[in-house]
Amino acid sequence: MPKVLVVVPDKCTGCNRCVLACSLKHFNVMNPAFSGIYVVRIDHEPVDAPIFCSQCGLCINVCPVNAISRDPKTGAVVVDRDKCTGCGNCVAVCPIGAMTLDPEKKKAVKCDLCGGDPACIKVCPEDALKFVDAREAVFYKRFFTARLQRKELVPFKPYPRRR
Amino acid sequence: MKWYGYMGKILRVDLSKKKVSVEDLKPEWAKLYLGGAGFGARILWNEMKGGVDPLSPENILVASTGPLTGTLVPSSGSIFYQFKSPLTGAWGEARSGGKFGPMLKFAGFDMIIITGKADEPVYLYVEDGSAEIRSAKHLWGKTVHETTDILLEEVGRPEASVACIGPAGEKLVKFSAIMNDYDRAAGRCGGGAVMGSKNLKAIVVFGEKSIVPAKPDKFFEDALEAHEAMKKYVFREILGMLGTIGLVNALNAAGALPTMNFKTTYFPEADSMSGDMLAEKYLVKRRACFGCTIGCGRYSWVPDGKYPTPLHEGPEYETSDMLGVQSLLTDLEAVVRANYLCNNYGLDTISTGNVIAFAIEAFERGYITEEDTGGLKLRWGDPDVILTLVDAIAKREGFGDVLAEGVKKAAEKIGKGADEFAVHVKGLEVPAHDPRGESRNFVIQYAVTPRGACHMHPNWAGAYDFIPLDNGLREFGLPWPPPDKYAEVGVKRGIAYRLLALHGELAESLGICRFPLWGSEDSCLTPKRLARLYSSLTGIEVTGKDLLVAAERAWNLKRAFNIREGFDRRHDTLPKRLLEPVTTGPAKGQAVIKFDELLDEAYEAFGWDKKTGYITRKKLEELGLADVADELAKIGKIA
Repeated sequence: MPKVLVVVPDKCTGCNRCVLACSLKHFNVMNPAFSGIYVVRIDHEPVDAPIFCSQCGLCINVCPVNAISRDPKTGAVVVDRDKCTGCGNCVAVCPIGAMTLDPEKKKAVKCDLCGGDPACIKVCPEDALKFVDAREAVFYKRFFTARLQRKELVPFKPYPRRR
Repeated sequence: MKWYGYMGKILRVDLSKKKVSVEDLKPEWAKLYLGGAGFGARILWNEMKGGVDPLSPENILVASTGPLTGTLVPSSGSIFYQFKSPLTGAWGEARSGGKFGPMLKFAGFDMIIITGKADEPVYLYVEDGSAEIRSAKHLWGKTVHETTDILLEEVGRPEASVACIGPAGEKLVKFSAIMNDYDRAAGRCGGGAVMGSKNLKAIVVFGEKSIVPAKPDKFFEDALEAHEAMKKYVFREILGMLGTIGLVNALNAAGALPTMNFKTTYFPEADSMSGDMLAEKYLVKRRACFGCTIGCGRYSWVPDGKYPTPLHEGPEYETSDMLGVQSLLTDLEAVVRANYLCNNYGLDTISTGNVIAFAIEAFERGYITEEDTGGLKLRWGDPDVILTLVDAIAKREGFGDVLAEGVKKAAEKIGKGADEFAVHVKGLEVPAHDPRGESRNFVIQYAVTPRGACHMHPNWAGAYDFIPLDNGLREFGLPWPPPDKYAEVGVKRGIAYRLLALHGELAESLGICRFPLWGSEDSCLTPKRLARLYSSLTGIEVTGKDLLVAAERAWNLKRAFNIREGFDRRHDTLPKRLLEPVTTGPAKGQAVIKFDELLDEAYEAFGWDKKTGYITRKKLEELGLADVADELAKIGKIA
């Protein structure tokens, strides 16, 4: 059974170590623009969130050159960068912003689960990222989805005044 | 030349001529000065003359990163500024975290050298290897948060990083800070005023260039090893979970919490100002700087009540003590608010807290009256006094204008012997670590640190005998076990302090935070571990000892800078207040007694002349700095 990469809500401190490890492992450089995981920090709001592919596979069908496929071993959706033409269809269709084009060759970059041994979880100081079995993953996934339906705390004044 | 770890490019900005140019990094500089403050020290020595007015166009502002900045090395999110300090007239430097340093490297530069003065407000926009000077007329007078908001929208890069000054920097408040990523402060020495004097409101950086390691697999392996070491970091609980403000209760319990303008080192109500209180009531989440495994940053707010405060980062330990405990405050909400105001105005919370506590004491003694303060009664423990004075200092209004000059000048202006309780060294306000209660290492550190009294530059000297920790320095000759924290002479303090200082200089030059330096062989970034990381990252093979030699080069260059500015042993002092006995608490009765002997020991270890405080030619030549020795000889200031 393939393992699943999940995020534990609220744990991320926004340190970007996962981002550095990802680009280092895949491209031998350290550069957020070459990473399959991206940490978004929202100013004036308590949000630090790692964004990465959920391996849904929506991008597979929109690729005109069949450069995207599912790795049967890991279940990861992977890009063949030799075939990729950089059309950007996959970026357009990705619902969560997990697919990107690198700034140099303008080809698709995404999480491939490092072939089943993700580098990002090794450098996360908060254990905010987990690589777990499907049955454990579903708990975190439901937790994550439930948070989208959270009622805001009242009074919610994240940025009440500027001076 | 292909650079690894380094970006290999320097951005030079002449604001007077409105010109930007790109230079190559000199290959031989890497091994000699490593980067960061080491580069800055060499540049300021080479390109500035002695005696320059710090607020004139002749002052140079260097914003530098090190080779490890922005990499997978733990706590790599640093930016270092070097300049001549308008507060002290001496060597000025300040460090900040956040992501500005890494982003500067992703934009393709190791550092920016800024000279001259713009004829009207400008900001610098740096993106992917190029830069331009743009008008900042619309930003002048705006706060740090406003400026950052506007600039991020204006440049159209929401992921860019902004370093800017607030109204305090514009008004040339002598201890104004350079702020980046909203709430991260390069606070000390008045870098904000230097930017203000150059009419430079902000620097915005964005880039998508890569930091390339020489041996990617080896570097990844070394970084993972360092990551594992940092999992055992001894301050993980206190700094990570409670933030630096977690030190309030810890230091108070040891009788080392500076209180009431350093009259004592114990505050019975410290818990009301502690990290536990912050976590319980106002902390929203923890926020780490780029690449950090510790994550000491706080993201906090005060949602309602008398002092409502928006979400922002802080307060730190220094802020809680200097703006709170020093004035006997017991209301943490007011400190969170004061911290927010200081961040937003661009003020150093340490110096601000120090001058305010000084003013309250001066008022209490009757040296100043309501006539001087514009009707404000300065009382201990009154939150509104703090908040009013923060406002007045940032805007230089009324009495705030006196305090905005720093505690040394304010004491001179007030006269009547007010300098007796003005707690500073070389004009830099003493921070919230006390040599009497915490460790006598601070006696040496406060006296000799190039920028004046500082607890963090070059290193937290208390780690050695207060905790105690060896920081992996035993193999380089650190005396072990450490002496009693109150012991003064005859316990090899000079030898120990030299190594602690060089280890700290190493962090400043390599471009990382100094928090991960403290621990034992297997739980921190020791010189050996740093050498391994530096070697596989840059492809330049070095040992821990090589690194410490480079660090000593920077340490002595900064000293040489100060000597050129006219500083010598006479300026390596402690304020009178720190020589007086502590009045209450566990450290009651503790005082610094053998100051001169302690300083002698330190000079001896550094290779400096005991009589004058000048560096010996032997030391400089040993470090390959013969040219510096020649320069100093020309003005007759070498031993």
